Amino acid sequence: MRAFAQRKGIPYFLLLPGLLWLFVFFVVPMGFMFGISLYEGSLDTTFEFTWNWDNYSDALTNYDTQFFRSFLYAGVATLLCLLLAYPLAYAIAFKAGKYRSVLLFLVVAPFFTTYLIRTYAWQTMLSNDSFVVDTMRSLGLVDTGVLKTPGAVIAGLTYNFLPFMILPIYASLEQIDKRLIEAGRDLYSSSRTAFRKITLPISMPGVIAGTLLTFIPAVGDYVNATFLGGPNQAMIGNVIQSQYLVTKDYPIAAALSFVMMAVIVALVLIYIKFAGSESLMGEERGL
Amino acid sequence: MRRTSQTARLIGAILGLIACATLAAGCSDLGAGGLEGPTQTAEASGGKASGDLAISNWPAYIDKETIPNFEQKTGISVDYTEDVNDNNEFFSKLQPTLAERDSAGRSIFVVTDWMAKKMHDLGYLQNFDKNAIPEVNKNMIPTLQHPSFDPERQFSAPWQAGMTGLVVNTAEAPDVTSINDLFEDPDLAGKVTVLSEMRDSIPLIMKADGIENPEDASEEDWLAAIDKLSGAIESGQIVGITGNSYINDMARGDVVAAIGWSGDAIQLQADNPDIKFVMPDEGCIIWADNMVIPVGAPNPDAAYAWMNYIYDPKNQAPIAAYNNYTTPVTGVKEIFEKSDPALAKSELIFPSEEYQKNCSTQPDPPRLQTANIEKAFEALRTGG
Repeated sequence: MRAFAQRKGIPYFLLLPGLLWLFVFFVVPMGFMFGISLYEGSLDTTFEFTWNWDNYSDALTNYDTQFFRSFLYAGVATLLCLLLAYPLAYAIAFKAGKYRSVLLFLVVAPFFTTYLIRTYAWQTMLSNDSFVVDTMRSLGLVDTGVLKTPGAVIAGLTYNFLPFMILPIYASLEQIDKRLIEAGRDLYSSSRTAFRKITLPISMPGVIAGTLLTFIPAVGDYVNATFLGGPNQAMIGNVIQSQYLVTKDYPIAAALSFVMMAVIVALVLIYIKFAGSESLMGEERGL
Repeated sequence: MRRTSQTARLIGAILGLIACATLAAGCSDLGAGGLEGPTQTAEASGGKASGDLAISNWPAYIDKETIPNFEQKTGISVDYTEDVNDNNEFFSKLQPTLAERDSAGRSIFVVTDWMAKKMHDLGYLQNFDKNAIPEVNKNMIPTLQHPSFDPERQFSAPWQAGMTGLVVNTAEAPDVTSINDLFEDPDLAGKVTVLSEMRDSIPLIMKADGIENPEDASEEDWLAAIDKLSGAIESGQIVGITGNSYINDMARGDVVAAIGWSGDAIQLQADNPDIKFVMPDEGCIIWADNMVIPVGAPNPDAAYAWMNYIYDPKNQAPIAAYNNYTTPVTGVKEIFEKSDPALAKSELIFPSEEYQKNCSTQPDPPRLQTANIEKAFEALRTGG
């Protein structure tokens, strides 16, 4: 009896460190932040806890432009990442042969330099007198400059989050049992049909994981908008940063963070419902 | 189906835990407001200063020799950090610790006049022991001795003073002489930035619109100038509200005219000799960045030793020669006349009355409306 109880306790025991970590560094701070979002006042007077729900309506009405902009930029960047990443991951998984590990290394290589420096380098690359912009200008793609336009911010987001799209898609493609495709071909499917009916469905968990890993951090990102955008490209992350550090309106900043989180959670739930949670959990692989 | 109910239970549990933590937060103090009681004085011990001295200053404000020379002369070990990029952001980072009478290890900050006043009003600064800083008392230039925010220089000593005006790439934009040119010249569209220090940018815009003394400006005047700036940002004429980083934009050529700080132009000339500080037709804004001693400063003795050292003209000369801001120390000009006559003539380091005739002291917005005005300005930065 005792041995049985002990064995039953093992999974909980294994979960304990992770749960404790999440509790101390996720649940508790979230609770505090939620509390702060209901304060009222300013740093010069005092902050008081008054269940001030107005912070939420203020946050939404005053910064709806930046909210919309953040989701738009992040959405476009995620789409671009997907369009770039899928063929690339496919090529690495199926066609790269002995170069596979080199190519994978190249995907990860940018992480050896910090994200800030790389975004900063984009600022130089996209400056008015740079080779890139000169070329674009002579091709008639831009009139004057690229920096401080929505395009620059979206390009930066796409670049910075691309590896987060490539790696999960690659991981799911790489696991595909090639005999399934062979079997499909033996049953006279065209290679296009085989891709559509076999490869694509099996790789969906990777696609969904990739889009989430790209979209969620991209919505909250403020580095790209800071370096590559101007005041008219400010994202919700920039607003939260400035509310915390410049205006020092902590309650509004906390309310903004919560609204952003709520919208992201809602969107993700809808997305998973739509795309099917089975493909996220990878249950089809068991078939 | 089973998974859904498990997920629901998990979410429920997390929400419950968050609710508990929220209640705890509701009972806690957000660490707001200032310190109670009279401002204390950072007493000097009278002995010889030693130990470590941590200083927070703005970037590109000191030459490479001053710190090693000071360390060699005094035996004090200096930890000099260039972590003040913006008065507001620096204040926000330090405020929670300052409210606990802890200066995060630093014995000196360098902040602009209005921020020094704000910190002092909140009780975050200590008064100087005036007997401990004879060199500062003796060598400060007369025009800086009695500023309105600290008439007796009880808690602040200028590190450098400076002017806010136009920084212009004269090869690309030779005709810029007024703040209004930044708003009106179509050739400059998309190549103009202004400073994120509200008390620099907005008063200059007000002066350009005919308000001679921005210190007397009303809330409406401030908001009108902010509105004007907002229009120029929306139209794409002005593309950035930046801190020190406009220097990089100018060096790269993306920005050809900006509201900027006097000494920066000289540092930019190393990259591009065409970049100059231009005194606007309507005058400039004059300010100073001050050394202050925060509450809880671990080593005031060393802080006083540093101030005395900096206010010795022969030690001040290399700093002024490096950063080209207005030096607060007398006797530097005489040193330059012997060593570097061109610098002795610099209107930036030693501005004449004639040169600054239309300039105004950096103003504070009307006190009761400050928060409102700051909010309106901040909304510009994040494109409301």
